[in-house]
Amino acid sequence: MSATMEQAKPGQGHQRTAPLANRLMSTRSGGKMVKDYWDNLFSARERGAKVVWYNGAAINPILQAAGVEWCHGEAFGARLAAMHLEAPAQYASESYGYINELCSYARTTLGCALLTKQEMADKVEMDNTPGIPSKEVLASRLPAPDLFVNAYAGCSTGQQWDEISYRMFNKELPFFKVSYPLLWGNKPDAGYLRGEEWEAASRYVANQLHKLIEFLEHETGRPFDWEGLRESMYYIKRASELRMDALNLCKSKPAPAVFWDWVASIAPINFLPGNQALVDYFAEVKTEIKERLAAGVAALPGERYRLAFDGIMNWNRVGWLANKFAEHDAAVVCGRYTHNSFWHEPQLIDPDDPILGMAQHYLLCPFNHSTKNLAEMILRDCETYGIDGIVFHATRTCRSASNGQLLLAQMAQKKGLQTMFFEGDVADESFYKDEVLQSRLEAMLETIDVQRNRSA
Amino acid sequence: MKQTAEIEEIVGRLAAIAEDPNAYAVEWKARTQRKIIGILPMNFPAEIVHAAGALPVLVQEDNAAITYGRSLLFEFYCGYTRSLVDQAATGKLKIYDGIFLVDHCVALLGAVDAIRFEVPDLPVFLAQFTASMDEDTTRPQVHGRITELRERLEELCGSSVTDEAICRSIEAYNRDRALLRRVYEMRRLGRISLSSRQMQALVKSAMVMDVDEHSQIMTRLVAHLEAGSVHSTGLVKLHLSGHFCHAPRPELLDMIESCGVAVVDDDVYTGYRYISTDVPHKADPITALTQWYFDRNDNVPCSTRAQKSADWESYLANAVEKNGAEGVIVLVAKFCEPHMLYYPELRKELHKRGIPHLLIETEHEGLALEMLKTRVEALIEGIRRSVLSRETA
Repeated sequence: MSATMEQAKPGQGHQRTAPLANRLMSTRSGGKMVKDYWDNLFSARERGAKVVWYNGAAINPILQAAGVEWCHGEAFGARLAAMHLEAPAQYASESYGYINELCSYARTTLGCALLTKQEMADKVEMDNTPGIPSKEVLASRLPAPDLFVNAYAGCSTGQQWDEISYRMFNKELPFFKVSYPLLWGNKPDAGYLRGEEWEAASRYVANQLHKLIEFLEHETGRPFDWEGLRESMYYIKRASELRMDALNLCKSKPAPAVFWDWVASIAPINFLPGNQALVDYFAEVKTEIKERLAAGVAALPGERYRLAFDGIMNWNRVGWLANKFAEHDAAVVCGRYTHNSFWHEPQLIDPDDPILGMAQHYLLCPFNHSTKNLAEMILRDCETYGIDGIVFHATRTCRSASNGQLLLAQMAQKKGLQTMFFEGDVADESFYKDEVLQSRLEAMLETIDVQRNRSA
Repeated sequence: MKQTAEIEEIVGRLAAIAEDPNAYAVEWKARTQRKIIGILPMNFPAEIVHAAGALPVLVQEDNAAITYGRSLLFEFYCGYTRSLVDQAATGKLKIYDGIFLVDHCVALLGAVDAIRFEVPDLPVFLAQFTASMDEDTTRPQVHGRITELRERLEELCGSSVTDEAICRSIEAYNRDRALLRRVYEMRRLGRISLSSRQMQALVKSAMVMDVDEHSQIMTRLVAHLEAGSVHSTGLVKLHLSGHFCHAPRPELLDMIESCGVAVVDDDVYTGYRYISTDVPHKADPITALTQWYFDRNDNVPCSTRAQKSADWESYLANAVEKNGAEGVIVLVAKFCEPHMLYYPELRKELHKRGIPHLLIETEHEGLALEMLKTRVEALIEGIRRSVLSRETA
């Protein structure tokens, strides 16, 4: 019988209020840092700063050292979705002609571009669809770009959407693209962080990063601040080490922090400036986890199940999902998006000569792997964190996040892990069906119970 | 009459092969004792496989409903990728000695990974071409990838692939493309009355047949077509646009033409996009094939490539002005992201130039043809009224 059924049983006298996820307090300061970052970016034009719009990998340390300000399109799309403010941008893109099966990050970000243009030129280039919002909405507040950089690994759409952004701004702005080979593995020696193909791909991307720096020097008219890059990569490496230490502490049973806490920490590690504040943030997170461990405080006091989450986030539903799993005493302990992404191999970073390690991290985008690589990473994590089952988020408009998931599930099942799928999306909540998640989660947890009873 | 019968016979023969490429490939293999390599769209240089002595077969969408493939790839992938995976799961890819690809489409890569998983003994090789055409690092990278293809094919086929062999293959494919382009030219001029279904059969058969055999048949066909008379149909002329990677269903094309339409041109992949560009003559054939990759996107821009200087929308509108089409039907394979992303740019340009158009999304599992027919009829009606009002003004 599932946890929910037990709680719902009438007349037992032990009904308890469904527990909420006991989220880390320290991540709240990350929320403020991120808000401050965006608020500052919104005033970039007034401050006379040059603004780069970019998508994909965390090239922000390079942009920081080039002395420009950066707007990560997907991050802004995710932010809008998490704040339930994505609709105006998505209406704008729909009226422009985008079909709703297109990547919802792209639809949201391109919608923002349309609204930004509208604000800039006081001119609408779309149909006069009712519901296009006023200029005051957040979606229209991005500062117009001075240049574009695309750096999208693992997703052809990511590259193509910047091509459209470039066209939306009349093909007049400078535009540089970094291309990444998929870590595919044609040769027998190929694998995670190893093999001839990995080495060749690393060099290919590193070479392009040097070209990107030349491009930025040309566009800014200033020499690139190499010392500044080394410094920010020093901080990012340190922050990353602290993050990975903190993740490792969550092997403990019950886990002191869960996936949803790490989701809250994605934005800081993904695009905030590399500086002492970033290090301090992750130091605080680690400290809180250590304190929880010392005090015996768990993220879910009644932790009964340990799950992994595979796929990109459903940004509209982060809090909702956190509580949904908590209601079932199911601790989502690890995930591809949190544990195998965002400067997660800090040993690769040489702060004195950071380009190669940066290139390698960009290649290690969690959606830039063959299924074989993914299985190696995910099944390893399942073992490390003592996972009972994997929850796959079948992300309707994100094929890069969905690639390989059905195969991974089969591989996991062979290892005795339970698996379930639910459909949702990164930034379009119309694809999420709560009842489907509910019933499938209960079914999986029941199966885990049966499995345990059999082996008891 | 004899001329028409000859044309029907030749096109029918090619259509039969296009309809069942596996049967052709199996027969070819039995006859030649050589290997069959499945190649995947849309930028693969078939010449390199041909030079290795193997038969390059561009794997087509299969008409069968998706069954076992559902457990390998989600339903929100395009019909082509779902069909590929289903073909793997139902044993239809067993005829191939290897699957090779160069394109980076995220859905295609997911499908091919599923093929690797499902058919682990089938050699699968990805030589990923960089899709951004603007950076100076791209050309050497693509050159290197074609060199890798050559090496891998040498291993697989057990013989060296010489420069001379590649040059001969380039000539053979250029000859076949030129023959197909001649038919396209005659269609634009209204000199032939081949249906869209028949035109598709010509190109689709070129994708799956031995190139020399195809050229021989095409040479006969072109001679018959050249000898034909000029046709004046009075039908509304349309241009078909888009539909990447796989062929739109022939019954859809039949339906469109049944609405009083003559399709005079297209830029669909199983159409002019496939045959648009010859490989240039260069001393180093790998350099020539590299150049072909860039030239194709200059000639008929594709939204799967990222190139600042290439505009599909301008190409399309200019093509329509040249070929005299009175409207455009944009065919989008459902879930095709590069096409969904680019459609508003096409729409904007067509609106700007006053070219009527209709968007039709196609699906693997069949089409609501009667509903679509109403929409096509509405487009045709609008075009006719507009012509009438111009004439009476």
